[in-house]
Amino acid sequence: MKILRFAAVGVAAALALTACSSDSDTPSETTKPTASESAAAPEAATIKLWLNGTDTPDALREYLTTTFAAQNPGSKLVIEQQDWNGLVPRLQTALASEDQTPDVVEVGNTQSATFTYAGAFSDLTSLYPELGGDKLLPGFVEAGTADGKIMAVPYYSGARAVFYNKDMFKDAGVEVPTTLADFTKAAQKLTTDKVSGFWFPGQDWYNGATWIYTNGGDLAVQDGDQWKGALSSPESIKGLTEVQELFKTATKAPADSDSNEPWVPFNQGKAAMFSAPTWARWSIDLPECNEGVAADDKSDEATAKRTKQQACNEEHTGVFPMPGLDASKVATAFAGGSNIGIPAKSQHQELAQNLLKIIFSAEFQNMLGQNGLIPGNSEYATSMGDDVYAKAAIAAALGAKLTPAAENWATVEGDRILEDFFQKLATGADVTKSAADADKLITDTLN
Amino acid sequence: MSAVAAPTTLGVPADRPTRVAATRATDSGRSQTSTSRRVLGALAIVVAIAWVFPIYWMINSAFQPLNKLQAEDPTWLPLGGTVANFRQVIDDGTFWQAMRTSLAVVVLVLFAALIFAFLAALAVSRFRFKGRKSFILAILVVQMIPAEGLFISQYQVLDGWGLVNKVLGLALVYTAAILPFTIWMLRGFVAGVPIELEEAGMVDGLSRVGAFFRITFPLLAPGLVAAGVFGFLQAWNEYTLALVVMTDPEQRTLPLWLQSLVESNRATDWGVVMAGSAVIAIPVIAFFLLVQGRMTSGLVSGAVKG
Amino acid sequence: MAATAPTVAGTTATPVPPARRRRPKVGAYGLLVPASIIIGIALGYPLVRQFVISFQEFGLKQQFGAAPEWVGLQNYKDLLTDSYVWTVIARSVAFCLVNAVVTMAIGMSLAVLMQRVGRSARITLQVSLLLAWGTPVLASMTVWQWLFDTQNGLINWTLSNVLGIESMAQHSWIIEPLSFFFVATVIVVWMSVPFVAFSVYAGLLQVPTETMEAAQLDGASARQRFWGITIPMIRPVLSIVLLLQVIWDLKVFTQIYVLQRAGAPTRDTNLLGTLIYSYSKEFGLAGALATIMLVLTLALTGFYIRQMLKEDEL
Repeated sequence: MKILRFAAVGVAAALALTACSSDSDTPSETTKPTASESAAAPEAATIKLWLNGTDTPDALREYLTTTFAAQNPGSKLVIEQQDWNGLVPRLQTALASEDQTPDVVEVGNTQSATFTYAGAFSDLTSLYPELGGDKLLPGFVEAGTADGKIMAVPYYSGARAVFYNKDMFKDAGVEVPTTLADFTKAAQKLTTDKVSGFWFPGQDWYNGATWIYTNGGDLAVQDGDQWKGALSSPESIKGLTEVQELFKTATKAPADSDSNEPWVPFNQGKAAMFSAPTWARWSIDLPECNEGVAADDKSDEATAKRTKQQACNEEHTGVFPMPGLDASKVATAFAGGSNIGIPAKSQHQELAQNLLKIIFSAEFQNMLGQNGLIPGNSEYATSMGDDVYAKAAIAAALGAKLTPAAENWATVEGDRILEDFFQKLATGADVTKSAADADKLITDTLN
Repeated sequence: MSAVAAPTTLGVPADRPTRVAATRATDSGRSQTSTSRRVLGALAIVVAIAWVFPIYWMINSAFQPLNKLQAEDPTWLPLGGTVANFRQVIDDGTFWQAMRTSLAVVVLVLFAALIFAFLAALAVSRFRFKGRKSFILAILVVQMIPAEGLFISQYQVLDGWGLVNKVLGLALVYTAAILPFTIWMLRGFVAGVPIELEEAGMVDGLSRVGAFFRITFPLLAPGLVAAGVFGFLQAWNEYTLALVVMTDPEQRTLPLWLQSLVESNRATDWGVVMAGSAVIAIPVIAFFLLVQGRMTSGLVSGAVKG
Repeated sequence: MAATAPTVAGTTATPVPPARRRRPKVGAYGLLVPASIIIGIALGYPLVRQFVISFQEFGLKQQFGAAPEWVGLQNYKDLLTDSYVWTVIARSVAFCLVNAVVTMAIGMSLAVLMQRVGRSARITLQVSLLLAWGTPVLASMTVWQWLFDTQNGLINWTLSNVLGIESMAQHSWIIEPLSFFFVATVIVVWMSVPFVAFSVYAGLLQVPTETMEAAQLDGASARQRFWGITIPMIRPVLSIVLLLQVIWDLKVFTQIYVLQRAGAPTRDTNLLGTLIYSYSKEFGLAGALATIMLVLTLALTGFYIRQMLKEDEL
């Protein structure tokens, strides 16, 4: 190895020479602390936090960096934003590298189990009580637990609720449905040649899972130390049959789309209802309410117009949690959201723990809630307020459920088995047969 | 490459030609009537339009506001269009950041790959040595192995030398990836330049190096350009490896940048996505048009011949 | 076209077996050193490692430090006894052959066309092909997706509004595997034709005028001359271009991956490239499949390579 290493230095030098360019050694400004530091008391250092997508608002990021710097004199927090798309290969490589690993990392709840079982995270069991203990969302904790050790804890959750166009409801004479069966009927009644009663694209298994879970089914179940696909259980089949009914009679959404941005057709008047995490409220932009202000216009006038626009949008739009089998309870929806953990290779375990403590402080948890995210610690869910959105979100969250906490679940997602399966249903394939086929694939993948 | 020695079906011996018609060949020109030539010309124009249409559509869509893109009927011309999409794309500071990174990577890769490939091409086409054929076979076979499963090992190599999140690191892997094909391509050119010419120059009093730069190098230029174009395209476009190597948002290359732009706009605003695609295509297209003449003649002089 | 051609190109440029000369052989090895080191480090070592790992049980756990376990040929056995893998192999070979043949046919036709039209038409065609060639693949993939888009795509609009095929209004092009591969073929061919067209055109220009004239005097028709003289003379170019097309089309990844993510059924549309990528958490399998793919490519191209070796074209 030594020889190779030497050769590489030569090559690197050659490359740098031939380039005649100052770009060749762009300084790595993220100031990686040298890996050799091992600290008794946490030595001052710069630690790196990976957050994904834009879900965490800027104000919260700022809060984290300033608070961290204040509480850990001399140390600094750098937040690097990653895209959800392509996150898994990045985690796969970076978390295994002492030099490159972030010190605290957010992972999607469905990806969590895969990395916890692989040994990518440090054990947080002893820190768990201090972070919130039993108050932390249990489904997420389960997804972050491997072999009895807690490796990743819930960061936030997003509950799904149904948004509806009040005017369309009135025109069609439809009331807010109170049972899941009513929901189908309402969606069918709202559907016309041009309008989808319910926007339900073919690959949208996030929403499709609601029908499986609510009818008592599951995506996969554990049987001893084996996992088995559970789509063809009688409960699941019952839910899936309803799903296909909706695909056939209550939606015009294309079979080749997924759950991305369902508010677009809603805004265009092509859908009377869609289901999404409650923060979708900020994306609703009905034409009759649009005031035509530019997004980057910061003037007072523009702000006033935006407020007016938002109020108008919310006046024309209603929201309710997906109803359950009977009127007394809501449906069991699939919970989106993510976990957060400390990579085992991080060289700054103690500083990373300090950061986790800030994230799980009452103040930060409340900030999450105020921004429409269900905080990882359920105690602070009240911070979401008590408007219709918060109510719908909290109601939905109480019943929400995650994907199976199986080690290889991320592979099921990577292979897009469920996208394929729901798409088959959307194109009219036989439910029982498709479910049996998909079960076989899931079972093979999980074991 | 060897001459086609086999006699043709017509019994005309395909004797080794001594000279090449490097200008337009005229084989059937004479027998063509001007009508058929016009018909073919029209056909060529139609094909040209069809081929370029997707690119036209990209640029056209980039100038359309969202409501026109989602309208029932398409808008065919960018007349009265908007530059708002482009503005949105370019005002975003991350675009220029990514552009700088991509340019730095490409420049490094091109320099390293062309020089090293040229040296190797010189070796395999001017010398007979043990292992020569194996080397050529190896660079051919290496191209047959899919790269999609390699990123983990390549990442570890770079990580071992602290080259992750560095332009230099990415350039190193890209250079390795395009070297085999570049060598393969260049050796045809090098073989095409007879050493006798160089020797004649030396007889006329030039030094060996002088002879090389005055005589051989100009003849090789089209070949280097043609090979460079390939390298440019590869390094400019690569995504899967950049995805894991450049995790720092400040070190993103253009494909990563485009991917995240697409990610946040695909369902919402195709206009912005098209504008984003157009701006990353522009440098390449500019480069292509710039070297167009050279490259065509480069290919003409035997880019992919044995 | 500029006549920069190195005087002695064409068929005579046989790398005049340079059993040479003056400079010692050590020089030849010296010239190979820089390229070999870079290839060795950043490509060769990962390839060797991939090959080694193909005999191990090597997953994410091993990636994070667990010791890998030697499993012999188990990964190969797992893959080769899986009927799905065979389906994907067959699919990939079919896709590769169709694409290579279509690309060659169109590329050759365009090359002949370039040769037979006037200057302005030729330049127009060449620039248009260059633009298609030069557009970065991610950029052209987005525009193709947008053209074939179910809801707002131009192609559906044209079919339903111009040609009056109402049923195409909301047609999804990628949801049926056959239709998916049709779209993929259109895109791949569109991207690969320019290279073939330019290379073959270059070859055509080197067919010596004298031979053609002589044949014409002998009374050979245009068609006879084309198949009897032109094709055999440009055969070396054709075979190398075809070889490269086969190699590239068998490895096709980006186009398929992007189209899959646009909403196609993934399992029914996987080709070898995307299948390997989907094994990226089980490196053992990925490595084994890569090796299988290499063998497959060699099987498909071995004939040509042997031929080239024999004719000393290498």
